[in-house]
Amino acid sequence: MDFFALLVVNGLLVGTLYSLIALGFVLIYKATDAINFAQGELVMIAGFFVAALIQLYRVPLAATVAIAVLAMMLLGFGIERVMLRPLIGRPVIAVIMATIGLAAILKGTGPLVWGAETKNLPLPIPEAPFLVNVLDVVVLVSPIQLVAAGVSLAFLAVFGYIFLRSRMGIAMRAVADSQQVAMAMGINVERYFALAWAMAGIVSALGGIIWGNLLGVDVHLALVGLKVFPVVILGGLDSIPGAVVGGLIVGVVEGVAAGYIDPYVGGGTKDFVPYLLMILALMVRPYGIFGKEIIERV
Amino acid sequence: MIHRECGVLKTSYAADMALYPVPLARWTVGAIAAAAFGVFPLLAGDYLLSIANLAAIAVVGAIGLNILTGYTGQISLGHGAFMSVGAYTAAILATRAGLPVWVCLPAGGAMAALVGMIVGSPSLRIKGLYLAIATLAGQFVIEWTINHVTWISGGVQASIYVPRPALGGLVIQSQREMYYFIMVVTALAVVAALNLFRTRVGRAFIAIRDHDVAAEIIGINIFRYKLLAFAISSFYAGVTGVLYTYYLGIANYEQFTIVTSIDFLAMIIIGGLGSILGSIFGAVFLTLLPIVLRYVVEGIGGLFFTIPDVLNLITNVQLILFGGLIVFFLVVEPEGLNKLWRNIKDYFRVWPFAY
Amino acid sequence: MTRSLALTLAAVLALAAAASPVWAGHEIAVGLQCDRVGPTNTIGPFLCPGAHDYVKLVNKKGGVDGHRVRVIEIDIKYQVPLAVESYEKMKQEGIVSLMLYGTPQTYALTPKLTEDRIPGTAPGFGRADATDGTKYPYVFPVAASYWSQATAAVRFLLDESKKQGKKVGKVAFLFYDNPAGREPLQILETLARREGFELRTFAVPPPGIEMSAQVLDIGGRFRPDWVITHLFGRSPSVSIKELKRVGYPLDRVVSFVWGAAESDVEAAGWSTAEGYLGLQYAGVGQDFPVIQEIVKMYRDEGQAPPKEMAHSVYYNRGVLWAAVHVEAIRNAIKKFGPQIKGEHVKQGFEMIKGVTLGGLVPPLEITPNDHEGGGWVQVWQVKGGKWTRVTDWFKAYPDILQEALKGS
Repeated sequence: MDFFALLVVNGLLVGTLYSLIALGFVLIYKATDAINFAQGELVMIAGFFVAALIQLYRVPLAATVAIAVLAMMLLGFGIERVMLRPLIGRPVIAVIMATIGLAAILKGTGPLVWGAETKNLPLPIPEAPFLVNVLDVVVLVSPIQLVAAGVSLAFLAVFGYIFLRSRMGIAMRAVADSQQVAMAMGINVERYFALAWAMAGIVSALGGIIWGNLLGVDVHLALVGLKVFPVVILGGLDSIPGAVVGGLIVGVVEGVAAGYIDPYVGGGTKDFVPYLLMILALMVRPYGIFGKEIIERV
Repeated sequence: MIHRECGVLKTSYAADMALYPVPLARWTVGAIAAAAFGVFPLLAGDYLLSIANLAAIAVVGAIGLNILTGYTGQISLGHGAFMSVGAYTAAILATRAGLPVWVCLPAGGAMAALVGMIVGSPSLRIKGLYLAIATLAGQFVIEWTINHVTWISGGVQASIYVPRPALGGLVIQSQREMYYFIMVVTALAVVAALNLFRTRVGRAFIAIRDHDVAAEIIGINIFRYKLLAFAISSFYAGVTGVLYTYYLGIANYEQFTIVTSIDFLAMIIIGGLGSILGSIFGAVFLTLLPIVLRYVVEGIGGLFFTIPDVLNLITNVQLILFGGLIVFFLVVEPEGLNKLWRNIKDYFRVWPFAY
Repeated sequence: MTRSLALTLAAVLALAAAASPVWAGHEIAVGLQCDRVGPTNTIGPFLCPGAHDYVKLVNKKGGVDGHRVRVIEIDIKYQVPLAVESYEKMKQEGIVSLMLYGTPQTYALTPKLTEDRIPGTAPGFGRADATDGTKYPYVFPVAASYWSQATAAVRFLLDESKKQGKKVGKVAFLFYDNPAGREPLQILETLARREGFELRTFAVPPPGIEMSAQVLDIGGRFRPDWVITHLFGRSPSVSIKELKRVGYPLDRVVSFVWGAAESDVEAAGWSTAEGYLGLQYAGVGQDFPVIQEIVKMYRDEGQAPPKEMAHSVYYNRGVLWAAVHVEAIRNAIKKFGPQIKGEHVKQGFEMIKGVTLGGLVPPLEITPNDHEGGGWVQVWQVKGGKWTRVTDWFKAYPDILQEALKGS
């Protein structure tokens, strides 16, 4: 029982980390209908940038976070302007391939500019775990995971509010629904595309800082981006609470499956159990738990 | 000046429906075939032949993916996994059952086709991005299965040695012999694909890509044809995997990862979706790209940086250029190298007139 | 527009052709495969310069018996098809030996090397059964294979526990889930049976950055006395952090040779990794005469010593790789004269004895039967912000290794 509780708690916390990355993906899809295969690489570039700032230039943490967020926002603007604006209205495979190309470019630029070796991203958060008593069961909790959970939930609240209530959010949802009608209503579609990518950039910046601290920063940090797909399919491609819930589910299922099934199959369950879950979801409820169902009208 | 269609009068149905009705086209194809089979292998050295072999194998794979994605509009990220299915099937048949290469090759393709149909079965319910992600899941699950099921992977090492292919007593060993073997298979693949799109199956594929609801309405059973597209495409992928295996002498799943799937997607995008010639262009281009780039960066970089820095530079520059080319082609020339070629052809069709 | 494009293209090609260096004189070519951007990009960029620099030093001192050695490096990105393609290219340039990189590549190229009679070295990675020189005459592990590393790690932890008066009841093996990672499994199981401890294995799926469930199991449920890790690339640093995060003492963790470098500890943080133990098959640090000579060589040219040297674990391994090849070539020339080919260098390898380069290289002794040279390792530990040596060169359980070789 102890072990199970350990796995579940750890899974929940890791799940919030996944939702942080999934959030970036969902933001872009929600506002621009574009699928971003380069989400992991954006987190990686943010991580490289922050690691360089902290270690090479010795910039204090608060300033680093601010600069990183700003830089990633600009990067988001730039990507949208150069790559995605010309592809408005093109079939979905064009955008997918464009983001795949972007992923390759970022993967090459990172080590080229900042070097190939893995960098440490130190944060003033204690490493040692502390023990928490949950319902009479003792579990290990790591402080960085709590920080990440906090950040994810904060973002959920902020972005959820923006999309639901603010003028900007409603405009973005309109653009995602139908670009042509939105344009006809006087909404500046291009501006909101840029804003969406900028928001994704901000989320990536935070994701880069936290994941960079967890795993160390180098080119393989981008691989966390592959986890995003099971999470968003489960939660719904265009749903912000879905990103969080999907992340939690994937985190827990992964952890429990790996903990219990791994010894029998020799490892590796963690890799493909989320994908099995995803295939199941695709067969049963393709739009995810919270996603909006797309009804095709002929 | 080069009036291609003028003066070509056909007097029988067969002549009208020929693959290359214009005599100039027939002469060109014949010349290319003669050069590819006769001149090139006799003149080229081992290294060039090895590059040509790799490019030819990639052509088969690219055509397969183009059939699925370019002609039928189903995005597939699982091409690498289908290749590894074909590769391991052939390797197992060759080593454990001792079957000769002309059995293992189609057997590998058939097994891959079967797996491809299973992975493609969600296409009944989902399409577009969701199907792409389902194929991505298929890629990972197949990779994991091959890695972990020792019956398939042949033990701890997960790689199977295959003996040199032997056709009726002749053992294919040198690069030149490999070249002939691979070129024959590639030529068959190209001709089969070209003819596929002159049949009603091919036309059904294109209809599904263009507007699947309309296709269903006029009576095309889209689920059946989508599965068929997956099957044919995976057959090609399986054959590609078998060819790689025989060429390298070893079947290893680490060659057929998600990176390979993305590579082939890039090939057909750069080459041109929905065209066989585009697949050929794209495959050759992407096979040559790292090699050419290495020469260029080594040559120029040597002037500015020290040797170790240059070596570090090369591979990162390759990645950046790879991504950059994909984005460039998508933004500037969405129909790829094929469109560029057609532009050149059209220009010369009416040359020296302007239109 | 098209004309200027054509001119630029022509200029680029001309520049490329002109910049290709012109070599003269009798040259001996050695191939080096490296991975600078793939999964082991934490290793290649530091290891390969070591090999280049050693050869540069040798050439500066007049080459091998007056003959210049040329290293042809091609980045294979840890991919088998690229390894095969680059081997064909190197063969065309007339290499007499090859420095292999990576276990799957070693497996793939073994038949080709045997066919073409060109010896290849695979120090510290698979295939362990190539220790038997009669089975694979053209593959030379040259350094402790994964089997030897397994026996050495177990010997070390048993001795350490005995020194502290504790018994070893449970050992966890945390490994990268690919063929290279699984190679030592059978040896460890044999050792567990013989020495009477419970062995549990934990596989980490590639690319090796997700291991929280495995580490939770180790730290929370299994709670072994020792952990042996066999990870490479990004994995080791992640394992250090994760083990620390579940509160497992790092001075009970012994890593195989590819998880014990400066970069791994740097990525995890030197203070975080305090106490972490690792096996090495080459000396660590700059305190060796040959390294000092390389530093002097750079200073004489008015340049600072290369920054890769600071990553001495991998850099020194690169030096070892090159040193072994140079020694083999020297032996071959002595026996067969200057016009040597692959098969002569193979015999040159089998004559290697007593090349220690002041302690950087273990006392290897390579014979036609033993292509590993002894399987020597040292144990180093992270103490006070750097790697410090804990033991001298040792090897263990030769009988178990012999049995395994016979059976494979």
